Amino acid sequence: MVIAIGFEGSANKLGIGIVKDGEVLSNCRRTYITPPGEGFLPKETAIHHRQNVLQVLREAIDKSGVKVSDIDVVCYTKGPGMGAPLATVAIVARTVAQIWNKPLLGVNHCIGHIEMGRLITGAKNPIVLYVSGGNTQVIAYSKKRYRIFGETIDIAVGNCLDRFARIIKLSNDPSPGYNIEQLAKKGEKYALLPYCVKGMDVSFSGILTYMEERIESLLKDGYTEADLCYSLQETVFAMLVETTERALAHCEATEVLIVGGVGCNERLQAMMHQMCVERDAKLFATDERFCIDNGVMIAHAGAEMFNSGTRMKWEDCFITQRYRTDEVETTWRED
Amino acid sequence: MTEESLLTINIEIPFPSNRTAELAYHVLRVDAEPKKTIQKEVTHKEHLLIVKFQGSSSKQLRVAVNSVFENIILINETLDAFGDSISETYTHFT
Repeated sequence: MVIAIGFEGSANKLGIGIVKDGEVLSNCRRTYITPPGEGFLPKETAIHHRQNVLQVLREAIDKSGVKVSDIDVVCYTKGPGMGAPLATVAIVARTVAQIWNKPLLGVNHCIGHIEMGRLITGAKNPIVLYVSGGNTQVIAYSKKRYRIFGETIDIAVGNCLDRFARIIKLSNDPSPGYNIEQLAKKGEKYALLPYCVKGMDVSFSGILTYMEERIESLLKDGYTEADLCYSLQETVFAMLVETTERALAHCEATEVLIVGGVGCNERLQAMMHQMCVERDAKLFATDERFCIDNGVMIAHAGAEMFNSGTRMKWEDCFITQRYRTDEVETTWRED
Repeated sequence: MTEESLLTINIEIPFPSNRTAELAYHVLRVDAEPKKTIQKEVTHKEHLLIVKFQGSSSKQLRVAVNSVFENIILINETLDAFGDSISETYTHFT
């Protein structure tokens, strides 16, 4: 039996969660929300995490009902992500690991998402579409690694959506992506946007620039903001479904799992579901509690690592802004 | 760059106990300075945490010192909130 606590703070979400053998005991989170038209920057995000981390930690421990002496391993996000927020949260993880005399494990953020998705949905060996504000990857498992089949060659899909929300001054509360999704439901008229699939890779920065440059004229031409949200979603999600479908066909897989913050978008899930039905595959997705960055995913992935014998040297418990999914050997997977 | 042009800042922070100073040392020693032009050396002696900074740019030095102070404050707040009984040794360095 393993009880693990996980600390996550690689972007604007601060999350701490506790799991016991895959059972979620607590999952506490605070989000740093910026005013409409503004994104979150590393320094201010780190200050937000510093101001909230101890309160969230107290909450996570109290809600879980476990005694700290029963915790087996302290896990934190080692990367990838923004340096200052990552470092802030890692400081607290290193401090409490020593106070409680518990082993410390640095977890790859992407691996956290994948393992959390597999745990919650029960997907066995899915093609993973990992879509968030910082990452866009199509992933398949093979021989002890999560291999990246395709990815964005510039900005992440969530970054494209977030920045479009800033252009039209949508609220960042609860998240820009959620507000785009709601507004898109009222959209009817499709505006033709660039469609940028390059083999297995995708590109979003050109679509964003296209929007930035033409927003005034598109609005004058009779497109509403809702129409543009709708058009943007349809275009970028179609690109993601296309690349995921190709990976699915190539690997002859039967499961698709969507993880990451953009993964709770129901329109993306619906489009992916349609593709899965046509290919006799099964779609797995989760809701915002586990899709959006959280501490539990770090705790769970860390517990899997710990269980399979992974230990980390103290010298290695730093943070790193760049940390690719395929750098991690998945010691816990036997297939 | 000649040795003369290097600026040095030494700080000594007293902690409530030798153990907490040692704990803070282990927390801080693993993070490398983001700027390669700044050298940071962390040590501890009895109840003192000692940090030595070296670099040629005073602006970069100030940023590095501020960042260490911020981190020490966070460590202290964590100790205040969760350090009722601090393990006397840490047995998982491997």
